[in-house]
Amino acid sequence: MADNKLLVLVGTAKGLFIMRGNGGKWSLEGPHFAGRAVYSAFFDRRKGRNEMWAGPTSWHFGADLSKSVDMGKTWDEPEERRIKMPKNTRKSLENIWQIAPGADADSLYVGVAPAALFESHDRGETWVLNKGLWNHPHRKKWSPGFGGLCLHTILADKKNPNDIKIAISTGGVYQTADGGESWKVTNTGVKAYFLPNQYPEFGQCVHKIARHPAKKNTYFLQNHHGVYCSRDGAVTWQECENGLPSNFGFGLTVSDAGSVFIVPLDSDGKRYTVDGKLRVYRSRDDAKSWEPLTKGLPQRNAYEVILRDAVASTGSNIFFGTKNGKLFGSTDDGDSWKLIEGSLPEICCVKAYTL
Amino acid sequence: MPATVYLGGHLKSFSNGELETALDLDFSVLDDVLDALWKRHPALRDRVLDEQGEIRTHVNIFVGSEDVKRLNGLQTKVDPGTELHIFNAVSGG
Repeated sequence: MADNKLLVLVGTAKGLFIMRGNGGKWSLEGPHFAGRAVYSAFFDRRKGRNEMWAGPTSWHFGADLSKSVDMGKTWDEPEERRIKMPKNTRKSLENIWQIAPGADADSLYVGVAPAALFESHDRGETWVLNKGLWNHPHRKKWSPGFGGLCLHTILADKKNPNDIKIAISTGGVYQTADGGESWKVTNTGVKAYFLPNQYPEFGQCVHKIARHPAKKNTYFLQNHHGVYCSRDGAVTWQECENGLPSNFGFGLTVSDAGSVFIVPLDSDGKRYTVDGKLRVYRSRDDAKSWEPLTKGLPQRNAYEVILRDAVASTGSNIFFGTKNGKLFGSTDDGDSWKLIEGSLPEICCVKAYTL
Repeated sequence: MPATVYLGGHLKSFSNGELETALDLDFSVLDDVLDALWKRHPALRDRVLDEQGEIRTHVNIFVGSEDVKRLNGLQTKVDPGTELHIFNAVSGG
């Protein structure tokens, strides 16, 4: 079975669920951080360690970055929080949106609201605010979207520790070539239909970016209206919407085979699956064309919303979660789908790993 | 001077399960009492105050029966023997 020994971390509005798949059967543990929203999670297996990270947010008591060293059975909550906005920023942490590995096996990055990047180079023992981005002259002109002003995507090159790409809503795509000392904006070609200048240097509401697993300079982007691809390392972007029923959506993932997956929603005014049909769209030609995937997915009265970090893949296994608490999975690169869980709380993030 | 701080149940995981803390110290305003509370239960500080040292939006602190957000915040005067309550607000979803 293609889904042997899978680990799926499902962050929801009411806690983190840990799911394990084996031969098509699934077990569920949780909720951890019961009652708290978990928009970010990461399983760090580098250097043979098995450390889970999660970013639970209590809307009353704030956001934590928690770690588990026993595969999620217990989680720490340091007395003094790991991630705190420095006093001189005059800001306070609202939510942790992304936990991501760096190229160096001891490096970790965290993206938060208000839009900021934190970094650790000692396996998460100590953290600092990335000042290069915080001091970027654009920062004060970034604006919050409905989910707040969030840095929600971090893509560190797997080999070059100096090459990091991020996405901010709303701000757009930024990248560094010097390990975070300086950042350049790379939104060329990406539309911001909600601004008077619809192709600004920055200010786009980029919902998610992902890279091709094998083609170093190929990236994909789901925008607030607009699906794009880049062939030059996420510097310039071209519209890639051939075959899509809508260019609005949030989540995006690329499988090991290079298949790109998105779940289009019906415009920013409606924000649910088009025509009440739950259809995943797949591209196997680097987003030149898209095909609907429907086998095993409801095609009637299915008004689902899929959030920006709720689509994930590992190998040929693809997963996505909905705001209605349904978790779907495919073990055949999207050809067919099964409902794994149907009544979880609102799903905020899905992270998939092969054990 | 004595003061007693009562915590809402959601906070007990940050106070070693203690929901009532008796403090005896020199104080004049709420901030003084909270400083003593943080020394007793350090994990409470980041949960009750934000990084800018402000009471979190959805946390309420009462001196007696008065919400300090309607008084002078952390500078609200506290008399000897006063009872303080720290609760999460009823907001949520």
